[in-house]
Amino acid sequence: MELAAERVSVRFGGLVANDDVSLAIAPGEVLGLIGPNGAGKTTLVNILSGFQRPHAGAIRLAGTEMTGRKPGAFARAGIVRSFQAVRLFRGLTVSENVEVGLVGRGLGRAEARRRALALLADFDLLHRAAQPASALSYGEERRAGLARALALEPRFLLLDEPAAGLAAAEAEELKRAILSIRERHGCGILVIEHNMALVMSLCDRIHVLGGGRTIASGRPDEIRADPAVRTAYLGSTAA
Amino acid sequence: MSTRGSAIFDGGRIVPLLILIAVVLALAGAAEFAPTVVQRRITQGLINLVAVVGLYVFVGNSGVLSFGNVAFMAIGAYVSALLTMPAAAKGVFLPDLPAFLAATEWPGLAGALAGGAAAALVALVAGFPLMRLSGISASIATFAILVVSYVVLGNWTSVTGGQNSLMGLPIYVGLWTAAGWAVAAIVVAFLHQESRSGLLLRASREDEVAAAASGVHMVSHRLAAFVISAFVSGIAGVLLAHFLGTVRVETFYLDLTFLIIAMLVIGGMRSLTGAVAGAIVITLLTELMRLAEIGVTVGDMTIAAPGGLGDALLALLMLLIILFRPNGIAGGREISWPFGPATPTTETQPRKPQ
Ligand SMILES: Nc1ncnc2c1ncn2[C@@H]1O[C@H](COP(=O)(O)OP(=O)(O)OP(=O)(O)O)[C@@H](O)[C@H]1O
Ligand SMILES: [Mg+2]
Repeated sequence: MELAAERVSVRFGGLVANDDVSLAIAPGEVLGLIGPNGAGKTTLVNILSGFQRPHAGAIRLAGTEMTGRKPGAFARAGIVRSFQAVRLFRGLTVSENVEVGLVGRGLGRAEARRRALALLADFDLLHRAAQPASALSYGEERRAGLARALALEPRFLLLDEPAAGLAAAEAEELKRAILSIRERHGCGILVIEHNMALVMSLCDRIHVLGGGRTIASGRPDEIRADPAVRTAYLGSTAA
Repeated sequence: MSTRGSAIFDGGRIVPLLILIAVVLALAGAAEFAPTVVQRRITQGLINLVAVVGLYVFVGNSGVLSFGNVAFMAIGAYVSALLTMPAAAKGVFLPDLPAFLAATEWPGLAGALAGGAAAALVALVAGFPLMRLSGISASIATFAILVVSYVVLGNWTSVTGGQNSLMGLPIYVGLWTAAGWAVAAIVVAFLHQESRSGLLLRASREDEVAAAASGVHMVSHRLAAFVISAFVSGIAGVLLAHFLGTVRVETFYLDLTFLIIAMLVIGGMRSLTGAVAGAIVITLLTELMRLAEIGVTVGDMTIAAPGGLGDALLALLMLLIILFRPNGIAGGREISWPFGPATPTTETQPRKPQ
């Protein structure tokens, strides 16, 4: 029942963005994915969500080979990702942004709307429901992105820097939201995050990338103590 | 079914539809009292409205400009002409027509629906490969549809009469027939945009990548919109043919394409309100221009605007809109109560959801 990348590699020209990376997310687990800028974190999420086909290696969902399928197929299989830049449907209303996932799963529009409003209420966005998504503030945009992702009923949720640019209080709120998502939906969650305090307190396990390779993987306390991780963050990547 | 139906009536969503229908009916009602010439112009304007709404169904929801919809108008016009013309008239204009067509004399409505269906079928077949293309490639491909249909219709002499006009079509389209179809077109476009497929298509218009991440299969929703769009455009072609009583291949080419696109751009291609507003505003403006070109007679002197001014102004207006108000008159929103495109941009005003 896990989502796994098995020895995946991706090259962009001469640049190896992911080099023989293996990682697995179990249901109900919050896995942190960290590493310096350009380490290949987003690329790995792209691979795990079908947006990037690995040049080597495979993606499996509960043992089923997913490699080479389209992003839509990943989404329909319950692998849902957010974007570093959120990418809301800016010309649609906030409610419609959430309805898209619900309607795509086969719900009628009225039922989709009811559920969308419930989801928006969870993220304290109900008062914004009828407005265009382009009207949202940055923090609201991030929350709307989460609501939109949840509308897809993820089995695995891949979040690319969900707390980027959020104030401390908002980040704390986001952490609670992520934990309650796990609680309520039981999904496996992968979080890319640069805020170390947040990652350490949020995640059950952490996977560290540097220069496209796995540097370390383990519990937060193990990662905190790992010398290779410290080196990576000081800049001299172990590539 | 019932849940979907109620979605349309939920939260005042149906208000724009009701207003647009009321506007069309009011326009037709007003034209009822106008001189015959003006009445005919309004009728033609309503036919154009059907064409603009047809174009909007695809362009507005997909964000991909289509240059091909006038080809669907042509297909609708010719198919309906062939099915409804009196056998005697066909004998004169189309002596080489296959026997099964030569004798058919369908009633107007059946011919119209067949014309729309034929256009939709062509859109389905042509759209299957085209809808996979992205943005500008798809637009250019739709232009190819226009050129191909123009060439085929202009040279398939035994069936279309080639470069010659077909005459003697039953003339059954008057003010209220046109108004009725305009209302029908608006209803179809509204139902489509409020449908599940319409919503998913608009999501892909906003962000193709994020839509894919939401599991949206853009190609199929684009194709659905293209087919519906072609059907409505086909009906517009039928109406034009049975309003004029003649069909000419030249009618359905670049001039009409420009006019219909200009109407949509000026009205605003991102809302149904925009499509309707563009058709009506341009129709009224063109009519004013025409009157200006005829001029006013004061004593024995006639003051008139120079001929051709109307077209030049239309082009200029489109340019100004593109430059200064890219979302057109309607600004990408649907009309709402009270009268007038009154919903302000909600950017800064928090509003409670219904
Ligand atoms: N489509 C692409 N084409 C070429 N190079 C790319 C592409 N996508 C990513 N890269 C490169 O691959 C490397 C890894 O990029 P990636 O976006 O995965 O890093 P990241 O760990 O997410 O970084 P950040 O923390 O800045 O988001 C970078 O050097 C980047 O420039
Ligand atoms: Mg990144």
